[in-house]
Amino acid sequence: MAKHKVTLVSGRTAQQGVGLEEGKTSDNYVKSVNHVQLCPEDAAKIKLKEGDTVSVETRHGSVVVNWRPSKELGSGMVFFPYGPWANQVYGYETEGTGMPLFKGIEATVAPAKGKVKSIDDLVKSLGGNKK
Amino acid sequence: MTVFSDVVCPFCGCLCDDLEVTVEDGHVKDIKNACGISRSKFLNHEKNRLEAPTIDGVEVPLEKAVDAAADILSTSMRPLVYGLSSTECVAIAKAVELAELAGGVVDNTSSVCHGPTILALQQVGESKTTLGEVKNRADLVIFWGSNPSQAHLRHIIRYSGMAKGRFVPNGRKDRYIVAVDIKETGTTRLADEYVKVEPNKDFELLQALRATVRGQQLSAESVAGVPREKIAELAERMKAAKFGIVFFGLGLTQSEGRHMNIDAAVGLVAELNNHTKFLLTPMRGHYNVGGANTVTTWQTGYPYAVDFSRGYPRYNPGEYTSIDMLARGEADSALIMASDPASTFPAGVAKNLAKIPVVTLDQKVTPTTMLSKVVIPVATAGVEAEGTAYRMDGVPLRLRKLVEPSEGVHSDAEVLEMIMVRMRG
Repeated sequence: MAKHKVTLVSGRTAQQGVGLEEGKTSDNYVKSVNHVQLCPEDAAKIKLKEGDTVSVETRHGSVVVNWRPSKELGSGMVFFPYGPWANQVYGYETEGTGMPLFKGIEATVAPAKGKVKSIDDLVKSLGGNKK
Repeated sequence: MTVFSDVVCPFCGCLCDDLEVTVEDGHVKDIKNACGISRSKFLNHEKNRLEAPTIDGVEVPLEKAVDAAADILSTSMRPLVYGLSSTECVAIAKAVELAELAGGVVDNTSSVCHGPTILALQQVGESKTTLGEVKNRADLVIFWGSNPSQAHLRHIIRYSGMAKGRFVPNGRKDRYIVAVDIKETGTTRLADEYVKVEPNKDFELLQALRATVRGQQLSAESVAGVPREKIAELAERMKAAKFGIVFFGLGLTQSEGRHMNIDAAVGLVAELNNHTKFLLTPMRGHYNVGGANTVTTWQTGYPYAVDFSRGYPRYNPGEYTSIDMLARGEADSALIMASDPASTFPAGVAKNLAKIPVVTLDQKVTPTTMLSKVVIPVATAGVEAEGTAYRMDGVPLRLRKLVEPSEGVHSDAEVLEMIMVRMRG
């Protein structure tokens, strides 16, 4: 399956806010941030079915996440809620401002074969989980 | 059972101050007037708590954790003190003091939210107002790159949209709301007008609006995907407003252009003040990120990214900002308070945080506590500890202590003071 070029935008959601106040390890938080949203037309174009996982890739990295359809998005745009999964595909160049880019990033999406990593595994992949 | 009224919410920069919290047997039982996120904060504040101080994941007495934290911060060459935005102002002042004592760098979460806003406002100034003025006067409200329907849930209800004010007695009917965004949101649907801007083109649209307000004719048929007729119409509407305000968000600061987008927004607002009263306010996320900037400024002269390695404060965003400090592998230890950088920083720099000894003060288990060497549980400001926080418009409000923290759990300020006592020897 060819990779589908998109513009990646991250942001807050109310569900993420509610979830993080339960705790970053709570199911509600994890579900609120371990997915991307894209329009139903783009999902059909790359033959995504309900329950499939999707691979999001930028020049900085890639990550496998769940997906949800969103009618708020036009074709070619993918929304990724802020969080540990989204951070796998963002770079850290700040161009002297202190701020990396979290919005308007070139990316590709494609159906994935792998599973979505747990929060424990993501912390392990950062190099340390002393929990 | 005790009912606390006029409680201030410690979640987002709105600092809604009309909550009614019911406390029974030392636990929060109910809350009224709160948004969904605030409700979750108060009712779930006891869930997923850190159970005890730890070193390398092993439970230790508080004194031992404090000793280990002091040793790490005293013996490292380039300690980074980061976070500060979800706690009260005395704790923030202590964190700045600790950074000075350690000869390190102190930075707060604004470096990855409205840091570019600060950079721009330091260059070109700011026309400010309070949310009370907005409530009572604003007849034109523009949300640009901000989506309060997901991030500041009661902003439109309490201050900027539905609220009835002295000069806008009919509330929503007396206000015209414009939402500028790259995608449809709850805010664009609620607005009277949705201006869809192409990604990374906000600077162009702001400049085109500014030129149009100045009376120049645009030669391009459209700018950033917006037809010039629509730009002209919006410019006229802005000039005709009695009291206009731009509430801008991370759509401007986290996309290409960063601080230059804010520079352009300030330029537009300055131009509009030749015609009418127009203002702008950043939609601040963490409830006391405004306090982190304010306290750091009154302590050091600078709002974030402050280095004490020479014994006096120096300011240089891009160098002393946390992302850059970690990207260069420069920080050799970190004290994290009231934030979770392992969840909010790009993985490439979060990996560098995992390589150094990290001391974290938090209430709950987070990816940052999971990779920290020393973890010290602290009380939740605004629920278990009192203090002051600064609203997004710079108005300070008093946070209440409603319940006692668990035995042996202290406030951020108290724990920082314990660490500093040990550092001073």
